[in-house]
Amino acid sequence: MSQKEIALKGVKDAFAEVVGTDEAEKRAQTALKSSVSPTEIIQGLREGLDIVGQKYEAQEYFLSEVIMAAVMAEKVIALLRPSFAISRTKALDRIVIGTVRGDIHDIGKNLVSTMLISAGFDIIDIGVDVPAEDFLEAMRKNYPKIVGLSCLLTSGIEEMTRVVDTVHGAGPRSGVKVLVGGRPISKQFADSIGADGYAANAVEAMKAAKDLLP
Amino acid sequence: MNMRDRVLTTLDHQEPDIVPLTEMSIDPPHMEALTGLKLEGRTSLQTQMSANRKDEASKIEMIYRCYRKLGFELIPCEISAPDGWDALKNSDGTITDEWGRVLRYASVTKTWSPFRGIFRSPDDFEKFALPDPDASGRLFAIQQMRRLVKDDFALAAFIRDPFAYLCEMFTMEKFVQWIYEEPQFIRKATERIADFNVSIIRRLREVGVDLVISGGDYSEKNGPMVSPRFFREIVFVNLRRQVEEAHRLGVKFIKHSDGNLNLLLPELAQIVDGLHSLDPTAGMDIGEVKSKYGEKLILIGNVAVDSLCRKTTEEVAQETRECLKRAASGGGYIFSSSNSWFADAKLTNCLAMVETVRKYGSYPIRVL
Repeated sequence: MSQKEIALKGVKDAFAEVVGTDEAEKRAQTALKSSVSPTEIIQGLREGLDIVGQKYEAQEYFLSEVIMAAVMAEKVIALLRPSFAISRTKALDRIVIGTVRGDIHDIGKNLVSTMLISAGFDIIDIGVDVPAEDFLEAMRKNYPKIVGLSCLLTSGIEEMTRVVDTVHGAGPRSGVKVLVGGRPISKQFADSIGADGYAANAVEAMKAAKDLLP
Repeated sequence: MNMRDRVLTTLDHQEPDIVPLTEMSIDPPHMEALTGLKLEGRTSLQTQMSANRKDEASKIEMIYRCYRKLGFELIPCEISAPDGWDALKNSDGTITDEWGRVLRYASVTKTWSPFRGIFRSPDDFEKFALPDPDASGRLFAIQQMRRLVKDDFALAAFIRDPFAYLCEMFTMEKFVQWIYEEPQFIRKATERIADFNVSIIRRLREVGVDLVISGGDYSEKNGPMVSPRFFREIVFVNLRRQVEEAHRLGVKFIKHSDGNLNLLLPELAQIVDGLHSLDPTAGMDIGEVKSKYGEKLILIGNVAVDSLCRKTTEEVAQETRECLKRAASGGGYIFSSSNSWFADAKLTNCLAMVETVRKYGSYPIRVL
């Protein structure tokens, strides 16, 4: 393998093995010095996160590893940010995300946000306990392609249904897709309320969001 | 059989006359609907909001009347804030409690929940004066409840697990990061909070309780939140200290946790005397747990909270009968939901559960 290939593999392995932030940043720096482009580093990071997701599903990794991988991703992305510009006005890749009304939990939403940022999306996080009207307002202000809904409590289920109806009711031309997830949410439920996409966990959310884009 | 005796018989793994009932908590909207009383002051399921004893006494009275009306044999009661303490009100409308957790209000449940802490670094925690377990007033709520329940109901002291405290004080993100980067700090932090719990349990002999229940989740739907190794080396070592203190007091120790506990069960079963939740939506099978650990573990659960929110009364009644069928024989079983009566649970469903247990829960259990 070339120096460049070794360095890129190092980044991927750093995430797959959840080595911690210092080591992840070190390997990203090594990759940059070995002429690996920031885009290629992000790709390696994503491949590593995919492996984290697979190991989490297999119960080899736990929520702690998913969270740590997300923290590492935040650090590496921040390190790479000066190396390339991410335009916040690029509406094609914009996602508005929030936890629905009645639910003040944000850990799932925050994890998903980090994963989506690492996947190249521009995230507008509108917080927790967000009523349907505020999702609509955020849509009008930010022109996202996707609205992401999170909830941890069963009480969020009805509210989630309301938000999906509100987003879709904004008009077929709006073209905004709705991606849902959270502890009480299943694929079956997501389909039943007309959500466009579903993710069982933060790592799955990266793929699910990409699948929603034309 | 007296209600307290029913619980004590159950805790001894004997069959009482009928399966006893409890809930870890009932959200204020339901308690207000059932009792006709109004809850004064702020309330939280994870912490104390103030030491306003008038409000606290009203809350205890409401809980007692609610549980008595429902016929629940076991009443959990939390530890109080010390005399003279009040939560710090922040300019953004949040509140900081005595553990440095910052709470915000949820309008649906009418309760305050922690969402972050004041600790930006391990140093912040090292310099922080943890609450004093020996402070005067700590047992106010339990003393009040003891006066009300007398020997008619079983009384449980409800404490919070150090793992849950640390996740809430640091946020999961920082907690996990510090597990990786500052493992000795996390070990010592867990020990310090376990020290608090051990001292509190020791103080319970001042008032007399029948049980200790430890709240705070270890798992989520997919499994334990951190590796079983971390649980073994840090969490369970300190859990065992608390359990041993409860045993010195002559009472049993029940561990609550939502989520899928299956990977942790073999070790947990060696430490605690029982489990609550047994969350069926996370893959916990109460029948399986009963068959593997029923001689050792008292089981409390497990109609899904999701069912209380979304299903019909007939479906909830059927689930209740299933719980009785799978878990009640041989005793050692207290019926409850898999968590608590959330505000969004249909009260008709909650009451259907209670009615079903009364109808089918007599020993010997004959549910088909």
